[in-house]
Amino acid sequence: MSSINRRTFAAGTAAIAGTFLMSACGGGRGSTSEGSGDGASGFAADSVIGISLPWLGTQNWAEAQTLFETDLKKAGFSPLIQAADNKVAQQQQQIEAMVEQGAKVIVVGPIDGTQLGSALQSAHDAGVKVIGYDRLIENTKAVDAVVQFGSVRTGELQGQSLLDGLAERKGAGPHNIELFGGGPADPNAPNFFKGAMSVLQPKIDDGTLVVVSGETDFQQCATPDWDNGKAQARMDTLLSGNYSDKPIHGVLAPNDGIARAILTSAAGAGQEVPVVDGLDAETESVTSIWEGQQYSTVYKPTKDLVAKTLELIAAYQKGEEPAAPTEKVDNGSIEVPVYALDPVVVTKENAKEVFADDPDRLALLK
Amino acid sequence: MNVIKQVFGTNVRQFTMVFALVALLVGFHLASGGRMLTSSNVQNLISGNAYVLILAIGMVMVIVVGHIDLSVGSVAGFTGMSVALGIHQLGLPWWIAIVLGLLLGALIGAWHGLWLSKLGIPGFITTLAGMMIFRGLTIWISGSVSVPVPDQIHFLGSGYLPEWGPGFTGMNNSTLLLGILAIAVLAWSQISTHRSRVADGETGLDITPVIIRVVLIAAVIAYVTWLFGSGRPGTSFPVPGVILVLLVIVYHVLTQRTIFGRHIYAVGGNKAAAALSGVNVSRVYFLVMLNMSFLAALAGILFVGRATAAGPNDGNGWELDAIAAVFIGGAAVSGGIGTVAATMVGGLVMATLNSGLMLMGVGADKTQVIKGFVLLAAVAFDVYNKSQGRPSVIGRVFGTKGGGQQGTASTAVAEDDLRTEPTPKITAD
Repeated sequence: MSSINRRTFAAGTAAIAGTFLMSACGGGRGSTSEGSGDGASGFAADSVIGISLPWLGTQNWAEAQTLFETDLKKAGFSPLIQAADNKVAQQQQQIEAMVEQGAKVIVVGPIDGTQLGSALQSAHDAGVKVIGYDRLIENTKAVDAVVQFGSVRTGELQGQSLLDGLAERKGAGPHNIELFGGGPADPNAPNFFKGAMSVLQPKIDDGTLVVVSGETDFQQCATPDWDNGKAQARMDTLLSGNYSDKPIHGVLAPNDGIARAILTSAAGAGQEVPVVDGLDAETESVTSIWEGQQYSTVYKPTKDLVAKTLELIAAYQKGEEPAAPTEKVDNGSIEVPVYALDPVVVTKENAKEVFADDPDRLALLK
Repeated sequence: MNVIKQVFGTNVRQFTMVFALVALLVGFHLASGGRMLTSSNVQNLISGNAYVLILAIGMVMVIVVGHIDLSVGSVAGFTGMSVALGIHQLGLPWWIAIVLGLLLGALIGAWHGLWLSKLGIPGFITTLAGMMIFRGLTIWISGSVSVPVPDQIHFLGSGYLPEWGPGFTGMNNSTLLLGILAIAVLAWSQISTHRSRVADGETGLDITPVIIRVVLIAAVIAYVTWLFGSGRPGTSFPVPGVILVLLVIVYHVLTQRTIFGRHIYAVGGNKAAAALSGVNVSRVYFLVMLNMSFLAALAGILFVGRATAAGPNDGNGWELDAIAAVFIGGAAVSGGIGTVAATMVGGLVMATLNSGLMLMGVGADKTQVIKGFVLLAAVAFDVYNKSQGRPSVIGRVFGTKGGGQQGTASTAVAEDDLRTEPTPKITAD
């Protein structure tokens, strides 16, 4: 009996193996790849466009989400927008899911520009165009273009605005200042700092500006994850450690959230309002500028960035070569075409002009 | 019904999570318009979640002994960063850096184990400290900057098996070979178990359920092989998946078939009773913690490979993903219950939810909410079952040794565990 069973089993296994091989033959390895790699061919005008954002925790990303949604729909595409909750693994999987959903272009605002290599490579292999949005994508060949505001330029504007503010509000020097940098994992952050320092360093050298704590290195000044709480804690420490007997006149802030954290901390320490710049023109900061607290912010109109991205997508859709980039930047693997836009400095004086066609922000200036 | 029982074993409840997983896969496949069960998606699913599943293997052992390890994310981040820096800054060959990274993981585990086993500091506290220490060290040594890693490590983290041999198979032949191997091994083990039971003089055994089981196993593996192997040329069952499967086999055997494995369950079920029975409790604690950080190191390296760079925030929150996988897999919060195989099912349920919701365009915010409810439901289900008069933990563990003639039957059960069973079914009536 046992031998019969064994034979039955052998036959069964053979049968399965047979079917299995047959079905495998039918599966066809070649049929799945469509060879969509050639970029000049274009794609359907109603294609899926994937937008992978790092998170929605700050206003600029939330704005980008809404703008992409409406503008892509207006242009006839099917937008597929997701945010990754600031988790790298989540973003990798989102990008892969977008490829599965047939996205023809994936626009990525990376959490960490160096950590998406494998996911973007598989997207590229599937013939998908990859556009870096707002931040450089590093350490991979799989990126076709980057759209961002010139980050060194942004830093220069921040530094210059700090100088202007000091002259305007605090009179003649020397002025006591402190420096803050952005999140070190964001490739833009060191560039902001570099740009700002290119303006400030000469003034520090000639004694017009005094960094009382002596912390002028980007790593010392950086704010992990752009976390306002961490910036506030650092400012508290700086103030109690160095400014118990002297005033602080100005602080270089890499963005609005950190600027407000600095102002809160200075108020808590009983300091007069220092001159603080910012970035992103967040609602609260626009109000703060209007009320004479925060001195300035550098506005990077999200709609310009989205508009430029849509131009590129439209060119890819038609299979055309997009317009020439502003510059080519070495991302560690290739020279990436970068489309850099110029940001705008906003102070109380020019706020009404800058936001003239932005009803939401204009409403704040009352 | 009787036939189903004979094929799947007497306790259908233990398959609940497997059924849930299959239902999720199929459900999402239909709901997403056929995008779930595609080669590229399942390949992504495995290589994107291998690191969590590897952490979960270690975590289930820690949870079974009645502790918890909160440091795994930080340890993974720290070792991943150390390996990247070793290659990038010190110019170490990649494989030496990996070996050193794994040793570093084991060393960190020994550090945790020492505090737990020699000084009796609860694992929760020891590893909470470790979580802070190694997160801080990661940021410190990296200077908060991401560090790229070379191609060999990309291969480990997201690579594919080589293409070779004849093209008529229409598949990646490495994957095909693995699939055939898996069918052969599982079929052989089913048959040989049955034969040894017959040889041991058990009567009333019918071979039909065994055959049905073999056929089912073969069909499932054949389908999975085809799914993974028939993707875009150059892709296959992913390399991190191969590493994961090897680990699952090793740790399944370790926990279910060895004396050390029995000791883990004994200590977790009732520490005092285990100690009185001659189990060296502090040694078990030490080794389990050491092993956890070793696996965390491996997970960290694989993640870095897939990300192509080590980042200062790698590993943030991973411990919670691993813990969730363990509890969805049916482990008991109080310790003593939980298996590697069931934990893998739990982890895959989470991964499938994540992937499926993403394919349907559900945002990360809502995905979190849904995953939270799934975790709660899975654990509540388990607690409810336990309150229905299930046998005690210690009874389950030592039941085998008591019931002498059941010895071989339990081996058969252990065999089944490889596929699905959430708990060691030893006193199953």
